[in-house]
Amino acid sequence: MSKVPALELIDIHKTFGNVEVLKGISLKAYDGDVISILGSSGSGKSTFLRCINMLENPTKGEIIFNGESLNLVPSGSDLVSGNMKQLTKMRQQIGFVFQSFNLWPHMTILQNVMEGPAHVLKRPKHEVMAYAEHLLDKVGIADKKHMYPNQLSGGQQQRVAIARTLAMDPQVILFDEPTSALDPELVGEVLGVMRNLADEGRTMLIVTHEMNFAREVSSDVVFLHQGVVEEQGAPSKVFGSPESERCKAFLSSVF
Amino acid sequence: MIDLHGFGHQLLQGALVTVELALASLVVGLVLGLLGAAAKLSSIKPLQWIANIYTTLIRGLPELLTVLIIYFGATTVLMSIAGLFGYDEYIEIGAFAAGVTALGLTFGAYATEVFRGALQSIPKGQHESAVALGMGTFHKFYRIILPQVWRIALPGLGNLFLVLLKDTALVSVVGLEDIMRKANIAVSSTKEAFLFYLVAAIMYLVLTIVSMGVVSYLEKRARRGLTRG
Repeated sequence: MSKVPALELIDIHKTFGNVEVLKGISLKAYDGDVISILGSSGSGKSTFLRCINMLENPTKGEIIFNGESLNLVPSGSDLVSGNMKQLTKMRQQIGFVFQSFNLWPHMTILQNVMEGPAHVLKRPKHEVMAYAEHLLDKVGIADKKHMYPNQLSGGQQQRVAIARTLAMDPQVILFDEPTSALDPELVGEVLGVMRNLADEGRTMLIVTHEMNFAREVSSDVVFLHQGVVEEQGAPSKVFGSPESERCKAFLSSVF
Repeated sequence: MIDLHGFGHQLLQGALVTVELALASLVVGLVLGLLGAAAKLSSIKPLQWIANIYTTLIRGLPELLTVLIIYFGATTVLMSIAGLFGYDEYIEIGAFAAGVTALGLTFGAYATEVFRGALQSIPKGQHESAVALGMGTFHKFYRIILPQVWRIALPGLGNLFLVLLKDTALVSVVGLEDIMRKANIAVSSTKEAFLFYLVAAIMYLVLTIVSMGVVSYLEKRARRGLTRG
């Protein structure tokens, strides 16, 4: 492919104290890609995802969004943004869905979804409200729009969090174990919403433990082990005939 | 009807001054408290030092002494500054200004600790979801963090306000015409100490009860959405 990747990570390293959690991970995501990142806990997959939008400062590496390299400067042992304006702009275009939802408890569901487009992108209120209602409808939660996050179940909260992210019209969405904090019976509703997003052609990077979902929805699967990419490829290859011993062992332990 | 010997109106005027002083000091104190907490939590060492010196000093002094030092000290300082510019008339800062400064500083020092605790109790995820959406620091603080800090800090601040309301009586020693001073004047001219101190006590009690009502209303409002229902 000759076109520019939507997102490109080059040789991302991350060290916490003396522990090197990421040992040089590179990844390209083109528009429409759905990339699942798998690995046992401690493999660095969440840290890697959090480095992409600088929730975690990488120790080394390069982050390129739409061909534009993020300005990173050393600070202590880590790299930090050398241009907050550029980083903020990039974050507005890269959605992030957290394991623990992180909705804002003092705002209603509707206000949570409207906050970004209305106050960050400064779009007109009436447009934003209509759009927010449309998105809440899309994630199946429109009837709860005047309720507060704590009045909702975990699955409902996560769907709101996805709507909040969608409201920014992000080019890429990062999902950090979006169903790991949910009761088992609530996992399906969140995965259903994500499946619809994948079908729409959204570009998504998903850290997940849901193997069946990853196999069915992903265009690409990356298996991380101890901070390095052990296996990468189409789901049929990674799940069907993995080359790495560690990947084989991991898959046989989860299936 | 109790005979207040015509001092009833005077006492009401005093009550107005007490309320004005308390509210003005509250505003100053809230701003100082937020700044103090931000300074204590900042990564800039000199800011931490300044905030620590401020809270240690103010919390270590009796409020009465703070009022006196500000009232007489500020006059001396202002006059010596004015003297540098060749102005040598007697300058006096008003009792009200001194009172607001002293009580505002005191409220601010205690509020610094209340706000610091509240700020630290906001989960990291709240900051992260705001940042990940592309919010700037000020926007995040104002729209996401502060409303939650407010909810947590309210009970503590309400308590401090009650203390502040009663500390306003201290400012009567530098001549502020508040409830306390009006009561003292009435006592010295009528010799009916018990009556007027009792009336003053009732007035403070009414003010504190009203304050408690306002605080509990604000607490209820701030808790919206935090109870399942």
